[in-house]
Amino acid sequence: MRGLKTNTISGVEIGGADSSEKRTLGRAGVVLALSDFLWIPQAGLIAWTLGSILSAVADPETNLEVSGVMPLLLTSAAGVIAIALLRVVLQTVAQNTSRRVAQAIQQRARTDLLKATVVRSPADSFPASGAFAAHVTDQVNLLGPYYTNYLPQFMRLKLVPLAIVLVTAWFSWMAALILLVSGPLIPVFMALIGSRAKTASAEQQEELTRLSGMLLDRIKGLETLRVFGALERTKSDIREAGERFRLGTMKVLKVAFLSSTVLELFSALGIAFSAVFVGFSLLGDIQVGVWNTPLGYVEGLFILLLAPEFFAPLRAFSAAYHERAAGLAARQKLSDLLQSIGPAAAVSERVLPKRESTGSTIRAPRISFDGVSISLDGRQILSKVDLELAPGETLLITGPSGSGKTTLLDCVLGFRTPDSGSVRMDDKHTQEVAHEFRQNVMWLGQAPQLFHGTLKSNLLKGVSDPQTVSESEIWRALRLAGAEALAQRLPRGLDTPLGENGFGLSVGEIRRVALARAAMRKQATILLADEPTAGLDEETAVDVIDGLRLLKNSRTTIIATHDPAVLKIGGRRIDLDGSGIAREPEVVP
Amino acid sequence: MKPVWQFIKTQKSYDLHSFVLGIFVALLPAAAGILLLGVSGWFITSAALAGLSGVFLNIFAPSAIIRALAIIRTAGRYGERMLTHDATFRFLGNLRNRLFSAVAENAVGRQRSGLILNRLTADIEALDTVYLRLVVPIVLCIVVATFLLLVWAGSSGLVLLAGLGFLAGWALLAWKSLSNSDRKTARRADAASDAMRLRAADLAAGRRDLAIYGGLDKAAEGITRASEQLRSVEDGLERRSIRLSAYSNLIGQAFLATMLFVCAWGVAEGTISLPYAVGLLLVVMALPEIVSMMLPGLANLPRTALAATRTMSATGAAKKGKQQIADPEKRPEENPGTGPVLTFKNVTFTYPGASRPVLDNLSFSIERGETLAIAGRSGCGKSTIAALAARLRDSDSGSIRINGTDISDYGEIDLRRAVSVLSQRPYLFNDTVAANLRIADPDAIDTQLWQALERAELADRIAESADGLKTVLGEGGLGLSGGEQRRLALARAFLTRPALFILDEMTEGLDEKTGSDVLSSFMEFRTDEAVLMIAHKKRELEVADRIVNLTDTTAN
Repeated sequence: MRGLKTNTISGVEIGGADSSEKRTLGRAGVVLALSDFLWIPQAGLIAWTLGSILSAVADPETNLEVSGVMPLLLTSAAGVIAIALLRVVLQTVAQNTSRRVAQAIQQRARTDLLKATVVRSPADSFPASGAFAAHVTDQVNLLGPYYTNYLPQFMRLKLVPLAIVLVTAWFSWMAALILLVSGPLIPVFMALIGSRAKTASAEQQEELTRLSGMLLDRIKGLETLRVFGALERTKSDIREAGERFRLGTMKVLKVAFLSSTVLELFSALGIAFSAVFVGFSLLGDIQVGVWNTPLGYVEGLFILLLAPEFFAPLRAFSAAYHERAAGLAARQKLSDLLQSIGPAAAVSERVLPKRESTGSTIRAPRISFDGVSISLDGRQILSKVDLELAPGETLLITGPSGSGKTTLLDCVLGFRTPDSGSVRMDDKHTQEVAHEFRQNVMWLGQAPQLFHGTLKSNLLKGVSDPQTVSESEIWRALRLAGAEALAQRLPRGLDTPLGENGFGLSVGEIRRVALARAAMRKQATILLADEPTAGLDEETAVDVIDGLRLLKNSRTTIIATHDPAVLKIGGRRIDLDGSGIAREPEVVP
Repeated sequence: MKPVWQFIKTQKSYDLHSFVLGIFVALLPAAAGILLLGVSGWFITSAALAGLSGVFLNIFAPSAIIRALAIIRTAGRYGERMLTHDATFRFLGNLRNRLFSAVAENAVGRQRSGLILNRLTADIEALDTVYLRLVVPIVLCIVVATFLLLVWAGSSGLVLLAGLGFLAGWALLAWKSLSNSDRKTARRADAASDAMRLRAADLAAGRRDLAIYGGLDKAAEGITRASEQLRSVEDGLERRSIRLSAYSNLIGQAFLATMLFVCAWGVAEGTISLPYAVGLLLVVMALPEIVSMMLPGLANLPRTALAATRTMSATGAAKKGKQQIADPEKRPEENPGTGPVLTFKNVTFTYPGASRPVLDNLSFSIERGETLAIAGRSGCGKSTIAALAARLRDSDSGSIRINGTDISDYGEIDLRRAVSVLSQRPYLFNDTVAANLRIADPDAIDTQLWQALERAELADRIAESADGLKTVLGEGGLGLSGGEQRRLALARAFLTRPALFILDEMTEGLDEKTGSDVLSSFMEFRTDEAVLMIAHKKRELEVADRIVNLTDTTAN
C-alpha cells in the first residue's frame, strides 16, 4: 500500500491515475500498436505469396507445379506463424501491464474513501450503508475497465490507423483516401454520441445505486413488511424499480450501440470501397489513385488485407469509449461521496498520534462542560450547559426522549463539536484526546450494534490485546452483564456466530452482550451509558444496574436514563428539559 | 455446468420467440462479415486475372454484393444487439423479481441482508453473460462452422482437413474452458467481494459502536484486506481470460498460415481456382472475430456458473417452500366470532439447533376485548409466542387458532388483516414518513396519517420538520431517537383494525411519561380487539386483564 502522503495530498483525484500510471498505460497502448504493426509484414507476406502464384497461373508459359511452389509456401507460412507468435506475446504483455495499473488505481480509490470514512464523526449523518457499500465495491469496480481498456486503446488509436494509411498511401493514394474519408469521420460522431452516452451512463449508475439501496432497505425490513401484509405491494414496487432500471440500461445501450454502429458502417463501407477500387484498378477500368505505375495484384491484395486493420483500433476504441463513460461516471460518484463524507486530510493530522492505550490515563479524569451550546438541523439541543465532573464522580442525566441526552454523551466522546463553549477532559479538549480516549472508555449505546462474527469476537472488539484475555474473563464480563445464561444457551457457546444486528438475539440480549463488551475494557477510566436498561426485563435490569454499580467504581461516569431503578445507582443528577437547558433537580434520590 | 443449462432452459422458456429471434438475427452480421471479406478477395483476384488476360468479368454484380454485405453487416449488428440485450434484461428483471419473492417468502431468510442484496444485484448482473456471451456466440460459431465445413468439403480434401483441424482446435479450447470453469476461484472472489460489501455496510451503519469498540480504522483495514484478497483472486481470473484470448489468437493466426499453404497447394494442384482460394483465405481471416465473441463469456464462466447455481437453487427452493406463505387469496371459513380470538393449544417450539424446546406444551387463549400479558425473563420465549401467533414461525406441534380457524389455514392477506404486530424491532424504511406509515394501510389519506401520528404523540416532532409527511426517515434520513422510532411503529398500528393486536414490548425504551402516554393512547384506541401483550414493565402488566407467567408455565 502507498504511504499516507500520496493518498491525502497527492492531488490525484479519487479514482484518478497519477502521471506515472498514465505513462504506463500509454506504454501498454504502444505495445498493443506494435503488435498491430506486425500485421503489415504478415499481410505483405501473404499478398506476395499469392501474387507469386497468380503470376504463375496467369503466365501460360510456366507450368504450375506443386513441388515448385513448396519451398515458397513453407517459408511464408512459417514466417506468418513466427510473426503471429510475437504478436500474441506483445498483446499479452500489454494487457497484463494495463491490468496491473488499473488494479493499483482501484485499490487506492478504496483506501482514499476509507480514510475519509474513518475520520468522519459517527454522530454526523452518513450515507446509507447499502449505498456506501455499493460505492466501495461496484463503483470502484467500474474504474477497472476504463483504465485497462480505454487509455491503452486511445494510444493505439493514435498510432495504428495512421501507420496503415501511410503504408497504403505508399502504393495508392486513392486507397489511402478511402480510408481517410471513412476513418476520421468516426471520432466526430463518437464525440457527439459520447457526450450523450456519458450523461445516460451517469444516470444509469444512479439508478443502480438507488435500486440496490431500495432492495437492501426492503430486505432489512422484510419482517415489518410481512406483518403488515405489505409484501405484495413491495414486490410490485421492486418490479417497478427494476423496470425503470431496465429501461435506463437499454437507453444507455442504445446510445452505445448507435456509436458502434456508425463505426461498423464506416468500416464495412471502407473495406467494401477498398475492394471495389482495387478490383476496378486491376481490371484496368480505373487508372487514377496511384502514383505512376498501375496497381499490381500484390499491392492490391496487400491494401485490401490492411483495410480491416485500419478499422480494428477504431472499433476497440469505441467499445472502450462506453467503458470510459461508465468509468468517468463512477469517478464522479466516488468524488461526490468523498465530498459528502468530507475530505480526510484536514482531520487526519490531529487523530494520528497514537499512544499505547494503557500508559497515559490510569487515573479517572475530570470532565467539564463550559457553556456548551449545540443545535442540530436548526433545533437547539443543548443551550449553555455548564457541568463539572470530578474524577470518579457519577452523573445521571434525565429528560424526555429527544431532549439531548445522547448529544451530551456525543460531546464527551468527541463525536460532536459544540457550536460554542467547550468540553474538556482534564483540561484537554475532548476532540484532541478523542481517538485515544475512545479506546479507553466503557460505553453502552442506546441502540447497540453487534457485528458480523462470533459472540467472542464481538466481546473482544474493544480489547487492545485479545490474545491475553482468558475465557474466564469473558465469562466474568458476561455474568456481570446478566448474559451468562444467554451465552450458555447458544448452540456453540462463545463461538456462535452472530449475524447482522446480532441476528438471533432479542433487543434485550443484544444490550446485555453490549454491556459485557463494555465490561471487557477493564482498564477504562470512564463509563458512559445511554439508556442502559431499555429493553431489559426487571430481573435482568437489576443485574445490569448491579453491574453498572460495580463498573462505575473509580471511574468518571455519565449515565443517561429515565429508568427510576437506574437512578438508584446514586450520584449527581441533572435534568434536560427538552429546550436545551440543563438543571440540577432539588432532590437527589 | 448443470445450473447454467438449467438457467438457459429457463430463459428459453421465458420468451422462446425472442430467444430464437436473437440468435437468428445475430447470424446476419456474422455471415455478412465473413462474406464481405471472402467476396472481396475473390473479386480482386478475378479482376487481376481478367485484367491480365483480357477476359470479360461481370463487375457490377460483385461490387453491388460487396456494398450490400457491408450494409447488412452494420444494420444486422445493431438489430442483433438491441434484440438480444432487450430480451436478456427483460428476463433478468423478471428473475430478480422472482428471486426477491423467494427471499421474502422463505420467511425472512437467515442470511445477512447484504448477502441477499448481492444475490439480487451482482448475481443477476453476472447472469447476463449467459445468453449474450455464451448462447448466442456459441450457436453462431456452430452454425458458421457447419456452413464453412460444407463449403470446404466442396473445395478440396486438404482444405477440409485443415479447416476441420483448426475448428476442432477452437472447439477444444471452448470445451476446455467450459469444463475447466472451476467455481472455487469464483467462490473465493465472491467471498472476498461479499466480505468487502458486508464490512463496508457495517462501517456505514454501526459507526458509534465501531468507533469505540475496535475502531473505525480497524474496520477500514478489514475492508482493505478483503479488497487485496479480491484483487489476488481476480488476478487469476483475468490471467485466465488473457490466456484464453492469446490461445484463440494463436489458433486463428496458425489457421491463416495453414490455409495460405493449403489453398496455394490446391491452386498449384489445380483442384481450386485462385480467386476462390483467395476468397477462402480471406474468410479464414474474418473467423477470429466471430470466435472472439464467445471468449468473454467463456472467461467469465466460473463466476457465471456460481451465480447460476445460487440463483437457480434459490428460486427452486422457493417453489418447494411455497406453502410457507399460503395462497394469498385463501379464505378461512367464516366464523361468527363467539369463541376466543386467539388460542394456543399444547404448542411446542424448538429453535433449530437448540437442544431444548423454548416453548413446551403451552396453552392459553384470549377472548374478544381481552388483554393478556405474557411475562417472564427475557430469553424465556416471550417473543417466540409473538412470532408464532403472527405466523412468522411455525410451531413443531400443537395448534394455534385465530377466530377458531387454524392459523395455517389462513391466506396471507386475511391473516395480516386479522393480526397487527408491533414488533420489538420495528424497521424504518429509508423513505418518507408517509410511505413508512402507509405500509400499514396503503389507502390511508394524509389526515389519517396525521391522526395516527397524533395518537402516537409524534405529530409535533414530524410537524417540526419542513417536509412534514414527506420527511425522509431511516438510514441517512431524519434521525429519530429510539423512542420516536417506536412511536412511529405504533402510529403504523393505529392505521389498522385487526381482530388481534400483538404488542411485543411496546413501551420498551420509552421514558416513564411517554411510555404511559403511549400505552394509554393505545388502550384508548383499541376497542374490542384482543391484545396479546409481551411485557415485563409494571405499567404494561397493570393494564392487562390476565397475566401468563412464562417462567412458571415452562417450569412445570
